[in-house]
Amino acid sequence: MSAVRPRARRSASILRPGSGLLILPPAVWVLAVLVAPIVLIGLYSVNLKTNLLGVPTAFSTANWKDFLPPGSNPFWDRFKISMTITVAVSVITVVAAYPLAYFLAFVAGKRRYALLMVLLAPFFTSYLLRVIAWQVILNNHGVFNSLLWDLGLRPHGDGIPWLIYSKFSVGLVLFYSWVPFVAVPMFVVLDTMDRSLIEAAHDLGASRLTAFLRVTFPLSIPGVIAGFVFVLIPTTGEFITPLLVGGPSSFMFGNSIQSFFTDTPNWNYGAVLALWLVAVVLVMLLVFGRYLSTDLEDAAT
Amino acid sequence: MTILEWDGYQAAGTKAQTTKGIVFGKDYTDEFGANGLAYSLITNDSQAIGKVRTGSKFDVLHPCAENFKDYVDGGFVQPWDTSLLPSFANLNPALVKGGQFNGQQYAIPWDWGYGSVIYRTDMVDPADATGWELFWNPKYKGRISMWNGATTNFEIAALKLGFPEMDNLSSDQLDQATQSLIEQKPLNKFLWVSEYTNLQPALTNGDIWIAYSWQDQWVYGREHKPPIPFNFMQPTQGRLGWYCGFMLGKDTANYYHAHKYVESYINHQACLSLTNNFYYGSADATVKLSEISDPLLAKSLSIGDPNVLSDTSKVHLQSWEPNEIAVQTAWEKVTAA
Repeated sequence: MSAVRPRARRSASILRPGSGLLILPPAVWVLAVLVAPIVLIGLYSVNLKTNLLGVPTAFSTANWKDFLPPGSNPFWDRFKISMTITVAVSVITVVAAYPLAYFLAFVAGKRRYALLMVLLAPFFTSYLLRVIAWQVILNNHGVFNSLLWDLGLRPHGDGIPWLIYSKFSVGLVLFYSWVPFVAVPMFVVLDTMDRSLIEAAHDLGASRLTAFLRVTFPLSIPGVIAGFVFVLIPTTGEFITPLLVGGPSSFMFGNSIQSFFTDTPNWNYGAVLALWLVAVVLVMLLVFGRYLSTDLEDAAT
Repeated sequence: MTILEWDGYQAAGTKAQTTKGIVFGKDYTDEFGANGLAYSLITNDSQAIGKVRTGSKFDVLHPCAENFKDYVDGGFVQPWDTSLLPSFANLNPALVKGGQFNGQQYAIPWDWGYGSVIYRTDMVDPADATGWELFWNPKYKGRISMWNGATTNFEIAALKLGFPEMDNLSSDQLDQATQSLIEQKPLNKFLWVSEYTNLQPALTNGDIWIAYSWQDQWVYGREHKPPIPFNFMQPTQGRLGWYCGFMLGKDTANYYHAHKYVESYINHQACLSLTNNFYYGSADATVKLSEISDPLLAKSLSIGDPNVLSDTSKVHLQSWEPNEIAVQTAWEKVTAA
């Protein structure tokens, strides 16, 4: 019974006159900027609204039928390629960012926040400029190929063909863009970790590697998952990077959506692709959010 | 005043117009200054009409003939008062007629030209450079760049496949063209988006040897120091042809300013500067070959004779597509494949 009482008290406090009003502003905000646009996109996807001149607005699932079932049209190929790039970038970014976060938390000492700022400094400039800078580095007559020519490692004028306008260049620029942001949640978890647990492991005879594998790493998993989700969710809808450094075969699913809303405006078909992506992101949030919330609850207790 | 315009066509006197010798728009900016002009740039024809259909408002628009009807039918534009355009009388009657709908002048024709294959003569075997099929030649994989121009690529595929009506493809022809473009896609290094920041540097430094382009890039190569060995192909199937014109936004609050602005583009000197800088044809029928800086070049492009646009043995004029939405969706499938 004693375990039930706090729940009852919480219920009572919610029912206190006026307290429910506090939830109104965020609820209105979420409805206005998240739910309403998705509903609107849903109306476009079934042709109850349209941007197309001369096309009558009447309920139709024609665009859904064209898009589904899986494998029936090229957008599925694009979706698979996008998800492959997204997952690969997320995994590689987490793997690369972990040592960085570890260094900041355990080695950098008092300088760690200053070093974190240095790490984040390039990100105070425009994302677009940074991607264009990569164009300068990677293109056929760019910095990297010129260096290879000057060193005599490749014949002059013969650039590495896959260095730009390829899946590699898209992955590389996405990796560069996300490493610092992925390092931050991992750094926070590592930095706030109870060091006495690591000391206890050492006292019990664990080597540094064993202590890392059995204590430090398991305790840092919430940060790792948070970092992974930080990359995974936004890159799922990415379109700027593939547009600037991707080739015709490395465009991502987000490029098809963007194109349907701008270059070849057919919002009705674009809405179908957009809703599909929303559904995929929601599934991701449900899967990973479960782990994150569990760990947060654990952390709270 | 807001203007829907292609990059490079901004009025002389604006910060965006950096080409020396350009005088189109100068009369307007001399009289009213450049601060009141705001440009929204066109990436391709589909995107331009898309912007308007989705609610963007413009005082002056500069679409091409293939979409004139869409702007009129959509109620996005209103007729011009040609009595407010003193130079209107000089314009070529055939092009003027193309801008008339319901007996009223909705489009003031201004510029015309060709679309074709531009290629580096120092890199491409002349025996391969005969027609549009050069884009499909696997020998040049990674050295080709078609335009991310949606419907234009279907016109090219239709010409390559020998379809008689490139802008009115049947469902079966559309499927064949889609498949053909999907096969061509891996040969591209990239699909260019911007003529000046994407295409021109890649052609100039040799990253790209073969591309879809308009004749201004050929002229750029000729005038480059040292000259870049470009050729602007006359494909066996014929070049694409186009003409564009100015339209007047339906709800413009700058009715008289819009007329002044367009007059500053269609007057004789403005039209001459269009030709002398880009070697595009202008609608001004009074421009003489002797006035053009390179008369031989102008003659080779039949500048001064817009009637060439109706010579189907040489040119296929891009025109209104009844199944534009299906073609655009097919293009998205090509890019997604």
